[in-house]
Amino acid sequence: MRLREVERGDSVRSRALIRIISVALGARLPDAARVAFYHKHFVGSALGAWTQRAMRGSSEWSVAERELMATMVAQWNSCPFCVGAHRAIAVRGMDKAVADACLTDYRSAPISDHLRATLAVLETMTLRPEELRPDQVRAAMAAGVTRRQLVDATAVAALFNIITRYANALDFAIPTDAEFEKAAGMMLKRGYA
Amino acid sequence: MSTDTDARHHDLAEALRATVAGEAGVTEASLRIATAARAAGGPPVDQPYDTLARQIGDASYRVTDAEVDAVRQATGGDKATFEIVMSACVGAGLARWDAAARAIEEATDAPA
Repeated sequence: MRLREVERGDSVRSRALIRIISVALGARLPDAARVAFYHKHFVGSALGAWTQRAMRGSSEWSVAERELMATMVAQWNSCPFCVGAHRAIAVRGMDKAVADACLTDYRSAPISDHLRATLAVLETMTLRPEELRPDQVRAAMAAGVTRRQLVDATAVAALFNIITRYANALDFAIPTDAEFEKAAGMMLKRGYA
Repeated sequence: MSTDTDARHHDLAEALRATVAGEAGVTEASLRIATAARAAGGPPVDQPYDTLARQIGDASYRVTDAEVDAVRQATGGDKATFEIVMSACVGAGLARWDAAARAIEEATDAPA
């Protein structure tokens, strides 16, 4: 269910920001940004800080690879808003056909062995966290994944196991493909904080 | 061996966990903490919070307007409802972070 106060903003400042950014974007400001502006001192600031670090901070993974991981978590959690939003960002830095092959079946997609092994860890973490064992982590490392890559990737997955859930529960409006494209440019420029 | 990257993620995750139980909320902190735990597979909480927390944890795409509205009726406002929803989401996400951190730590013999 959509919460009206989240959609319209809970302060003069946030309502002005929603209007100004919508005009600059040339589209309705996506609900993800409206949530980020709302009741910010509750979890918003802490969530934004960790998301900015995980998605745009230093990492052995490229921004596009991290956005693809976010897209995959969204797919596993059946979140169409986040699939559309993060696929649109990922394909600014990788071949669209590769991203779509991952969404169809990452096991057979033309990606590196270490990304494939990492996605297997993230899939278990997302869908069956109680089954995540050190053996699966060791298997990923045997495929060439470093410990740092695993920590960075599991941070991305943890965050999108939060974000996809509120996108679904709060019934985020699904933008058009053209609107996702516009928002992707903004997210690459402005980030998550 | 633990790295700076690990420590930074760890600190940011713990800061997020602390906000759920923090003083910035309009709902009772004990309800937010219990809701977060419920979404992570923990013990039941009072209705209507229990149904929403469990659904967010297990299958958020199945959350209905009625489940969210029941919480809105019980809490009396959007801000409180938002806090319950976000607490459940953070609980489910951090439970997965904790599971991954344990597996990495056991596999590499170093704290994550």
